[in-house]
Amino acid sequence: MRTRLRCLGLAWVLLAVFARDGGAQGYRIRIDTRAQAVSYRGVLLDSVPIADTVTGATGGTTTSSGFEATCTPGVAYCTFFQPGPEEHANPLTSTADLTLFGLGVRGLSVRTSARLGTALGGDPWPGTDPPTQLLEGYAQYARRYLTLQVGRQTVTSRLGFSTFDGGRVTVRAPSRGLELTAYGGWGVWNGSILPVTSAALNPLGDYRPPERTITAGAGAAWTTRLLDLHWSYEREVDPSVDYFVSERTGIEGLLHVSRGLSLSGGADYDLAEGWWGSAEATLAYTTPNGRINGSAGIRRYRPHFDLWTIWGAFAPVPYTAYDGSLTVSPTRRLQLHVDGEHYAYATANAESPLVTVDTTGWRFSWDATYTVTRRWSVDGGYRAEFGPGASSRGFQGSVTYAAGDRVALGIQGATLDRPLEFRYDESSTQMFGVFAHCQPSSRLRVELDASRYSENRQRPDPAAFDWDQLRVSARVVLMFSSGELAGLPPAVRRMPAGPEGDP
Amino acid sequence: MSRPLVIAVGAALVLGAGQTVAQQPRFDHERHHLLFPTCTSCHVEPATGAGSLYPDPAMCASCHDGTIQPRVSWEPPGPRRTNLRFDHALAAHMAPKNGVEPPRCVDCHERDGTTWMAVERVNFKNCLGCHGVKTEHLAAPDSACSVCHFPLAQAKDLTREDVAAFPAPPSHHEHDWASLHGRAARSGEAGAQVAASCATCHAREFCLTCHVDAPERPAIQAMPADPRSTAISVRISAPASHQDATFLTRHGAAARRAPAQCSTCHARESCLTCHAGTPRVAARIPARGPGRGVGVVLERRPPAFHGASFADDHRAMALSEPATCGGCHVRADCLDCHRPGAGAGTGYHPAGFLARHPAAAYARETSCSECHNTAGFCADCHKAAGLVSTGPLRPGYHDANGAFIVGHGQAARQSLETCVSCHAERDCLTCHSALGGRRFDPHGPGFDAAQLLRKNPQMCTVCHGTAIPTP
Repeated sequence: MRTRLRCLGLAWVLLAVFARDGGAQGYRIRIDTRAQAVSYRGVLLDSVPIADTVTGATGGTTTSSGFEATCTPGVAYCTFFQPGPEEHANPLTSTADLTLFGLGVRGLSVRTSARLGTALGGDPWPGTDPPTQLLEGYAQYARRYLTLQVGRQTVTSRLGFSTFDGGRVTVRAPSRGLELTAYGGWGVWNGSILPVTSAALNPLGDYRPPERTITAGAGAAWTTRLLDLHWSYEREVDPSVDYFVSERTGIEGLLHVSRGLSLSGGADYDLAEGWWGSAEATLAYTTPNGRINGSAGIRRYRPHFDLWTIWGAFAPVPYTAYDGSLTVSPTRRLQLHVDGEHYAYATANAESPLVTVDTTGWRFSWDATYTVTRRWSVDGGYRAEFGPGASSRGFQGSVTYAAGDRVALGIQGATLDRPLEFRYDESSTQMFGVFAHCQPSSRLRVELDASRYSENRQRPDPAAFDWDQLRVSARVVLMFSSGELAGLPPAVRRMPAGPEGDP
Repeated sequence: MSRPLVIAVGAALVLGAGQTVAQQPRFDHERHHLLFPTCTSCHVEPATGAGSLYPDPAMCASCHDGTIQPRVSWEPPGPRRTNLRFDHALAAHMAPKNGVEPPRCVDCHERDGTTWMAVERVNFKNCLGCHGVKTEHLAAPDSACSVCHFPLAQAKDLTREDVAAFPAPPSHHEHDWASLHGRAARSGEAGAQVAASCATCHAREFCLTCHVDAPERPAIQAMPADPRSTAISVRISAPASHQDATFLTRHGAAARRAPAQCSTCHARESCLTCHAGTPRVAARIPARGPGRGVGVVLERRPPAFHGASFADDHRAMALSEPATCGGCHVRADCLDCHRPGAGAGTGYHPAGFLARHPAAAYARETSCSECHNTAGFCADCHKAAGLVSTGPLRPGYHDANGAFIVGHGQAARQSLETCVSCHAERDCLTCHSALGGRRFDPHGPGFDAAQLLRKNPQMCTVCHGTAIPTP
């Protein structure tokens, strides 16, 4: 542990020194470090001879003391979970973003983003294995009509985020609003920066491709004053067998019908599965004074699974949802918001009288924010959702004191009731917390949060324990940069043409 | 005692004392009025136009010797700091002019003219009266100030403390003086670019306290430079126009119409505090720099409609009015959350989301997998919490419903992503495989066997082995 911390500190020092002496005309380093202290009730896997189990009231197998047990045919014992001792975890993650520019070639820059993660004692923490992770690291050559990128990079499109180690070329005709892009390389698994072969992404022991997938994609965009249209295509191939892991295409657009009124929508098609994936269309309107804005839309959601899994063959069905939202600011100090959505699953063709499953659900929430003074604000709201699998409802509120960007202090609280379908864990939770955010200078930001969760799990068996826990977190964001950034406000530094914008 | 000398002595004692830092015990002139028939009885030297204005302390001791009168301690004040043009030494040599006698001491220093030696520092009425000024001292017209006072830049002896102690003229207390003072500064004598009255107390640096547009203002450029002028602090409230409730949404039009008016108080940095994404709107406003004021320092605060849940609710507004978002935000702001691995960051989910995420995740309120890897984030955490399958589907976890195993199909097809956050493929293959188990067919609506076979036959072999049925 100590060694890891030393390495972490040494790495950041070297990073700063390298950036300072590396000969670059400009650099920027952002180090975002967050430490948490979490405690929660542990669980203990126990076993009981099958002969000592009994049949419970709902037909399942339980221990004689009432714990629900899982029995495997042919095995002489059953397993069950019982409340274990209180667990503690203290994860520490530190992400460093480094940008070097002014390297002697106009338009050339180097960008890296890396993360170190470790646990300062206690349990291991999800996402900290391996401890060193490269989020992005690429060289970029950007001119008005052309952009080249080589290295680990992320492409954002209708199809989500795609991270790969490879190259990307983008050509554009700015006067006509056209842009074409193509990319390819060795991919990482969606939502992570690790290849699909990584053991860290296989906690359940799934079947995985033996080699890293190869990702290739293309895109086109046409942007005018009224229309913004994007087309995307991406495929992933398992090079060990040259079979597709995924192949999808999608299109999305935004039409500014008139001032404040827009129509947006998009859809993606899974070429590998041969079916439509998710789609949506939304009509949104904002009044000229910004006091009222609302939207109404329809969307369809269908999960996407890679072809190296069998899940696609299980034919997950989509749901179709109708949603709407309205935000009104009757005065400058008061804002009211309400939104809701109703959704219904397509026919699954697997209905059974033995298990009743809802096919529709809804979500609803409202909240209000009142700015008492320039520095004080109060926020409160209610959220409820009910649907297949899980439901929840609860209030939340906060009081915040904010002195511009410099200081924010507040207290927050929430209640939650969540009856869960198909499994135990109907529970009630009360949360109370405090937070303090401080930004003494544009180069330093400190955030502290502490929350106490009091959760009562109303299980009908002896495992109906309280899951009370305390979560404390501290976050420090440091910024180092070449001299030309000194004294500039954050907004200027992040201007597109500014030193922290696109070089 | 000649009148000029009396004036000289009195003015020095009164006005000069007013500008000094160390205050001496004041000589009680009235109490001694029977002793001194003339001013020059004590103030001898000024009568000659040379030497100190004050008597030798030894003169006091001639009476205050401890026997006749108690001893007193008095020392003449040191060199005095003043911005007065009046010089007692020169006054001693004044001669009648146009039949008007030079002023006597009492002309400036007598209080009411009834009692001998009832004097005060300066009887401004008398001074101003002789000079034809009919107003109060500080309300004197612009042309009158320089008669008696040097401009600040020439009053070299004054310290910052002296400058800070300057009294403010009544005009400066007028409502909206911040807007009116420019006209006053330009209303000086003909040919002058700035009123002399301004320069009496102020210098260019004082103007730079506020004026971003100082280089474009001839009156400010005409002011002499003197850093001591910043000793006078000024606090200006926003103009009345800024108090309007809709000013924030309307100020763009005003800025386009008359940017010079904005640049009086605002530098480009004021605009860019919020307009980070649209710097062009500030192109006509000068940036801070040498010779310009810093200008109004604005705080970037989220507007009132950015409530605590705005992170969840901003979609509609971002769609319909992206230009509004772009007024303050740049793409990097969006990417704080809308990027892979954002799950390790902070700020998107509201406090307490961990506790309520099952409901949101089960029906995919948002697409969790865009930010979170389902295996590395969901399954890993579920495993640590004991929320994973340890084998095929059993009733133990699912409400202890013994029939769940045979009736789970609909739930699985509706929320397969949730199932796989706890279950591995082998759990399902126990029953759903053509190679063994119960050989239940998992294929449902929309399943395109031919397509899958074309794209990845390896997946088919997991359940069918080499005997893949022909679609």
